Amino acid sequence: MLDIETTVRGVLRDVLGLSDERVAAFDETTPLFGALPELDSLAVAGVLTEIEDRLGILIEDDEVDGEMLESFGTLTRFAAQKVLG
Amino acid sequence: MIEPYDWAGGREAMVRFGPGSGPVVIAALPLFEEANRMRGFAATILRSLAENHGIAGVLPELPGTGESLIPSERIAISDLRAGFAAAARTAGGRAYSMALRSGALLDGSVVIRRRWHFAPQPGDALLRALRRIHRTGDAPGYGGHRLPDTFLDELPDCHVEPARTLRLEGDTRPADRLVPGRALWREPTPDNDLVLATLLADDLAAWVRMCEA
Repeated sequence: MLDIETTVRGVLRDVLGLSDERVAAFDETTPLFGALPELDSLAVAGVLTEIEDRLGILIEDDEVDGEMLESFGTLTRFAAQKVLG
Repeated sequence: MIEPYDWAGGREAMVRFGPGSGPVVIAALPLFEEANRMRGFAATILRSLAENHGIAGVLPELPGTGESLIPSERIAISDLRAGFAAAARTAGGRAYSMALRSGALLDGSVVIRRRWHFAPQPGDALLRALRRIHRTGDAPGYGGHRLPDTFLDELPDCHVEPARTLRLEGDTRPADRLVPGRALWREPTPDNDLVLATLLADDLAAWVRMCEA
C-alpha cells in the first residue's frame, strides 16, 4: 500500500507539475478534484493513464467519478484495490 | 548537423551528433504530444553520448511526425517503422536504438543490432491514452492530431521488441534498471532534466560498449 501511495504521489507530482515538497505534504484528506486548479479534465486523463502505466492496471471510464478523485486518500485506495484485485 | 534521409515514401530530415564512424544510436521519440515534451531531452542525451563518450547519434523526423511534410491524417505504423529503418541505414555504422515511450513501437527493424528503451509504452496503452484525450474534447481529434482509423486499429497489435529497459522509480513493471526522475512526457510544459539525461547517456554508452565487445 505504501508503494502504491508513493507511485500515486509521483504521478500527481509529474502530471500536475507540483514540487516534491508540495506532494510530500499530501495526506489522506488532501482534496484533489475541484481543489487543485492544475487538475483539469486533460490532467485527469494524464493522471489515469500514468497510474495505469506505472501500476500495470486498467481503469474503465465508468469507474471514474468525483468520489474517486475527491482526495489523495480516495484515489490511492482506488488504485490499491485495482492492484490487489 | 541536419541532413536528409530517403525512405520509400519520400525524404525526411535527421539531426546527427558526434563522430562519423563507429556505433551509432538512432533515437525514436514518443509519438504525438509526448514528442514535443521529450525532443529537447532526447537531444540532450545524444549530445552527452557524443561529447562524453564519443558515440554517434541520430535524431530523425519520422514520416507524419514533427517537421515531416506528411500530415498526421496519413500517418501509418508501417511508414514510421520504414522511416526509422531508413534513417538507421543512412546513418551508417552499427546501429542501436534508443526509444523513448511509444518510440519503442518503431524500432523492430532488422537494421537495428540491439535495442534500448526508456519507459516504453505498448500500442494498447497508447491507444487507451489517445482515446481518453479524445473524450475530454479539449482539442480537436486526438490532442490536436487528426488520426486515421487504420492507424488506431493497428495499435493494439503493436508490441515492443525485447530491449534493455529502464523505467522511473515507482514504476512496477519489469525493468533492467530503475532511475530517479520526473516523467517529462507528462509535464504541463516542456522541460529538461540534465541529471537524468546524463545518467541515461552513461547507461547507454556502457551498454553499447558491452554490445560491441
